[in-house]
Amino acid sequence: MQSWRRRKSLWLALSASWLLLVLLGGFSLLRLALPPRPRPGAPQGWPRWLDAELLQSFSQAGELPEDAASPQAPHGGSCNWGACFDTSKCRGDGLKVFVYPASGPISETHHRILASIEGSRFHTFSPAGACLLLLLSLDAQTGECSSMPLQWNRGRNHLVLRLHPAPCPKTFQLGQAMVAEASPTVDSFRPGFDVALPFLPEAHPLRGGAPGQLQQHSPQPGIALLALEEERGGWRTADTGSSACPWDARCEQDSGPGQTQRGETLPNATFCLISGHRPEAASRFLQALQVLAALQEMSPARVLALRQQTQFLWDAYFSSVEKVIHTTLEVIQDRIFGTSAHPSLLWNSPPGALLALSTFSTSPQDFPFYHLQQGSRPEGRFSALIWVGPPGQPPLKLIQAVAGSQHCAQILVLWSNERPLPSSWPETAMPLTVIDGHRKVSDRFFPYSTIRTDAILSLDARSSLSTSEVDFAFVVWQSFPERMVGFLTSSHFWDEAHGGWGYTAERTNEFSMVLTTAAFYHRYYHTLFTHSLPKALRTLADEAPTCVDVLMNFLVAAVTKRPPIKVPYGKQRQEAAPLASGGPGPRPKPQAPAPNCVNQIAAAFGHMPLLSSRLRLDPVLFKDPVSVQRKKYRSLEKP
Amino acid sequence: MGSWGLSLAPPAMLTLPLYLQGIINLGVSENKLCFDLLSWRLSQSDMQRVEPSLLQYADWRGHLFLREEVAKFLSFYCKSPAPLRPENECEKEAVCVIMCASVKYNIRGPALIPRMKTKHRIYYITLFSIVLLGLIATGMFQFWPHSIESSNDWNVEKRSVRDVPVVRLPADSPIPERGDLSCRMHTCFDVYRCGFNPKNKIKVYIYALKKYVDDFGVPVSNTISREYNELLTAISDSDYYTDDINRACLFVPSIDVLNQNTLRIKETAQALAQLSRWDRGTNHLLFNMLPGGPPDYNTALDVPRDRALLAGGGFSTWTYRQGYDVSIPVYSPLSAEVDLPEKGPGPRRYFLISSQVGLHPEYREDLEALQVKHGESVLVLDKCTNLSEGGLSIRKRCHKHQVFDYPQVLQEATFCVVLRGARLGQAILSDVLQAGCVPVVIADSYILPFSEVLDWKRASVVVPEEKMSDVYSILQSIPQRQIEEMQRQARWFWEAYFQSIKAIALATLQIINDRIYPYAAISYEEWNDPPAVKWGSVSNPLFLPLIPPQSQGFTAIVLTYDRVESLFRVITEVSKVPSLSKLLVVWNNQNKNPPEDSLWPKIRVPLKVVRTAENKLSNRFFPYDEIETEAVLAIDDDIIMLTSDELQFGYEVWREFPDRLVGYPGRLHLWDHEMNKWKYESEWTNEVSMVLTGAAFYHKYFNYLYTYKMPGDIKNWVDAHMNCEDIAMNFLVANVTGKAVIKVTPRKKFKCPECTAIDGLSLDQTHMVERSECINKFASVFGTMPLKVVEHRADPVLYKDDFPEKLKSFPNIGSL
Repeated sequence: MQSWRRRKSLWLALSASWLLLVLLGGFSLLRLALPPRPRPGAPQGWPRWLDAELLQSFSQAGELPEDAASPQAPHGGSCNWGACFDTSKCRGDGLKVFVYPASGPISETHHRILASIEGSRFHTFSPAGACLLLLLSLDAQTGECSSMPLQWNRGRNHLVLRLHPAPCPKTFQLGQAMVAEASPTVDSFRPGFDVALPFLPEAHPLRGGAPGQLQQHSPQPGIALLALEEERGGWRTADTGSSACPWDARCEQDSGPGQTQRGETLPNATFCLISGHRPEAASRFLQALQVLAALQEMSPARVLALRQQTQFLWDAYFSSVEKVIHTTLEVIQDRIFGTSAHPSLLWNSPPGALLALSTFSTSPQDFPFYHLQQGSRPEGRFSALIWVGPPGQPPLKLIQAVAGSQHCAQILVLWSNERPLPSSWPETAMPLTVIDGHRKVSDRFFPYSTIRTDAILSLDARSSLSTSEVDFAFVVWQSFPERMVGFLTSSHFWDEAHGGWGYTAERTNEFSMVLTTAAFYHRYYHTLFTHSLPKALRTLADEAPTCVDVLMNFLVAAVTKRPPIKVPYGKQRQEAAPLASGGPGPRPKPQAPAPNCVNQIAAAFGHMPLLSSRLRLDPVLFKDPVSVQRKKYRSLEKP
Repeated sequence: MGSWGLSLAPPAMLTLPLYLQGIINLGVSENKLCFDLLSWRLSQSDMQRVEPSLLQYADWRGHLFLREEVAKFLSFYCKSPAPLRPENECEKEAVCVIMCASVKYNIRGPALIPRMKTKHRIYYITLFSIVLLGLIATGMFQFWPHSIESSNDWNVEKRSVRDVPVVRLPADSPIPERGDLSCRMHTCFDVYRCGFNPKNKIKVYIYALKKYVDDFGVPVSNTISREYNELLTAISDSDYYTDDINRACLFVPSIDVLNQNTLRIKETAQALAQLSRWDRGTNHLLFNMLPGGPPDYNTALDVPRDRALLAGGGFSTWTYRQGYDVSIPVYSPLSAEVDLPEKGPGPRRYFLISSQVGLHPEYREDLEALQVKHGESVLVLDKCTNLSEGGLSIRKRCHKHQVFDYPQVLQEATFCVVLRGARLGQAILSDVLQAGCVPVVIADSYILPFSEVLDWKRASVVVPEEKMSDVYSILQSIPQRQIEEMQRQARWFWEAYFQSIKAIALATLQIINDRIYPYAAISYEEWNDPPAVKWGSVSNPLFLPLIPPQSQGFTAIVLTYDRVESLFRVITEVSKVPSLSKLLVVWNNQNKNPPEDSLWPKIRVPLKVVRTAENKLSNRFFPYDEIETEAVLAIDDDIIMLTSDELQFGYEVWREFPDRLVGYPGRLHLWDHEMNKWKYESEWTNEVSMVLTGAAFYHKYFNYLYTYKMPGDIKNWVDAHMNCEDIAMNFLVANVTGKAVIKVTPRKKFKCPECTAIDGLSLDQTHMVERSECINKFASVFGTMPLKVVEHRADPVLYKDDFPEKLKSFPNIGSL
């Protein structure tokens, strides 16, 4: 009985303890003890296998290296670069192109395109020396079709260029020829071999071309977000504010303040939806993918970048027939060059691959344009290049002044007159090299291999500069390495009376050119001047020497799309009258170039690239009423 | 075996199989722990072995502290020397207790097993001890939240690969069609499954692992390789993964086809076809690194796969479906084994090295001819024939009798040959990149890994096979600087996209993701620029050289609090500037209403007043919808000294430099060598690095950046201190464009007319200290000093020139 009672009390105690245990810990223990179940939200992933370590590798040791090799390359039906193009002919000076002469009468456009290619650096007159043979298939209206050319050789090393969809039936097999045409189909296009061209309107300008229509970096507030291409060339716009497209529902067309714009003009919208030839597909596409939603999500930074890139691409590669053709040839040349082709950055950022020659360098930091993207800086030294034309006095004072600059690395004298070279030159600490020129004005902009710095100070023997001026101008150039920094300026203007461009060297409130007889610029412009300008223009400069300044300014402005920079020049104030009327200026008898020089160059460029500037960059304390002791460039202000 | 347990009921408890049956499983953790401990001991080599599969909860690890407690308890309790017979009356007690067999002593049998006497005392003590232990343990659990939440393993199933379900494939089950060569994303891929997704991420589903056998029970392939398991684990751990098959837009079969040689082609295809969402392979992704088989070695996986995407190593131009397939590397297992530290630039011992073994004799002849011609600088290696240890031969290469360590020897060379073998894709490419050696790829028509996004021109040299004899001269024509860039690039590609299976898997998914959400795609720079370049470079948001038309004009934004009189004067003055197109007054005073409309000066351009919700300095840099021009003139309500010419000229200068801050008084930052920090300088120096925004022109995009993209806490910090908003703006613009400010005209300060000379000095000093603090604070938030120092300012072309004043465009350009 007693034991029973004792047992009972023990039982009670035990049960109580159990109860406590269950209450306290039951829940948490239960959680642990229950077989794991996936928590909502945390997906049950790929299992961690217990024996994962024991799994075998996909390739057994030895299998990879022991691969028995077969020397037969895999083959397929169509061409690729390695199989169908023979690069052995292209060694040496890059891509040389022979253009088949047209059979029979040709249109004016055809003629001008031929002339444009013949003027380019790619052209050769000998089919034997060419590495690419070009067959133009240009004329859309005439329906004229070319017959198989003589050196066809199954199309090897041939490029068939079709600017407009060919109405010609294929008269011969294209075989191994590359095809450059607009809107190629996926089935026939051979990536890395054929070239896709933009679809050009028939009235596309031959050269130059209109600049992009973008006038603002960022979109105007309140304009439509998206414009949809409609049939017959109209556009329908969809607004940002409209909730026409909820995330999950279909787009209610016409519910927003959409409107249809008719006619040739492009819509005023941030994005344009282009759908090829099937506008009805576009609206379906819009519904399904909720394009609007995606576009609205896009950050302002991205929209800004895309807008600018469209303009850059247009200006660099699309705006004229000439650019399209040159781009095609440049693409092919890059394939031939392999490792010395343009890096991607050069293709995709201003000024573009046509103006950044890969023959100059393949390292972006060698060019003046990419220092920001590369995180690099222009070099801290310059080379002075002094041109000595007639009468041929050694420019002793000038050499002293330039050699006094702390930034000067070397002095080059380009001896370009009939007199014999002087035997002795002034003693300077600066290395001095004398180059015997070819008595041609265009020599001044030849890329001499002896120029070892990025910056060139181009001088005329009769220029007169002080060390202070040189120092300050160079420091300014370092901030703008892609522009020309000069001391003396001139301007172009539209001359209503003559219906053409005019030129003036008078001092005015603005300028668009700096004289290259005293200017800093990047040595890359020598390469560009010599290798990318059409031969005709360089000949023009040689025949009319005063044109060479204009030509160089055109070139730099076309590349940078910026005006040059003017820095203060002390001598200028002494001159009683503007430069043109003579005096002790750097060019005692400056002949103003004939106005037709500007007009000829502008015609060759296809547009007027020069831009005007209304400012001059001065030292920060320039002519301020403070102690001269505070000023770094004191002698700039000396009377 | 002398294992047993006391106890029985509660009757629902589980019993254990075989010789452990005496133990009753309580179903609570402690019980399990005990069991664990037991099974551990029993599975030691001195015991009869227990197969893991025989143990329940084989993967149960438990908590260390609990194990310790149990172990203590056991050793305490089990010390009891009194033997206990199984038929002991404790059974009668019908109390459920686990009885741990004497772990320590039970090897010899029942002699040491504790035995209950008829006295209940010990027994009850035991019982209470256990309950107490349970209480303690529970308590500890309660206060140990971390240990419960910590390991994610709780959610992951732990199983053996051998236990996966077996699926029998009937011989006549359907076979998918062969791959369709014309497939492209818009024809064979169903993008609608991916849908619009705010995160712009595709969702990837992985099928459960199964083992496939044919009618005779013969396996179709190895269940899964180590690499494919790693690959699926990487996908499952990534943001792409979903376990909801209905939400997925991309399906990855767990059928391992990495190596075609390890599988039966027809049966594998049948296995693919019976996957639950196969649907002709639409939106299915297969990974294959070793395609083809002897003798002709196709360059793509031979398994018929219909429309499935193929991520393949070794595609040729003939088999690669551009924009549809993904070309991936052949993983080199050596990467995981060997740690090659990055080697800096500089000359390397060999110019060109070939380290592949099993090369075709024709190729080897060509290479050896190169070696003969160029001597020491070319090294052609082969496998070692005379090594005693066979296992290590994969890590050794020989030239004649000289032995080299592989892959270390690759670091000694500038260029490394990667020749086509029977297959186009070679694992050696990965080793070469790891060594920072520039690969010379000689494999015609080979599609390099990830070539859809990676720019291989920056990291490799591709030489046509027929040009093999010229390879030396081709390489010699590459400038040294380009070589060094290529070496750095090669190493970066390896680190980012080659070094692990995970890197390969994620890069593949990213490429597919970029195709489906092109507007959110990763840029060329992000794919290709090594981190050093990404850090050092600046991508100017206003990169297009564009001169905005003068006709557009500018919007003046005047921030004001309550100085109405001064404000009206500013408005009147600014309205005289020809290019002003709109005036915006930001009324920053919440306690006072702006003056009535009739009181405002009448000006020729629209005037708008914006009221703010809070008196904050940053309100002046807010991108108001009312700003319609790109040019913004920020101007304080007390800047009345600027002339109309001065302001108009400032705007003209801005048009030539639309991506810069164009202002009047300039300021400079200097490094204070004594204090070792930055110092603000307002003295008349020859240099400037900042302009005051009391009056400054800039692009309105910078308002957006200031308001939404200002790094760190700078914006709030400025609002809290009511100072330095201009310095912050200078930092922001310089950082994003990498360019210096433009100071215009000689003006040195904004003289405020109401200011008196009293207290000027001390105020000045506090001011300078505060401004210096701002510079130091911002430099630390930006992580760099973005400000650029220049020595120039912009003046009108004929400024102070000896020229008739009346002919100058900006005669009244102002004073200091």
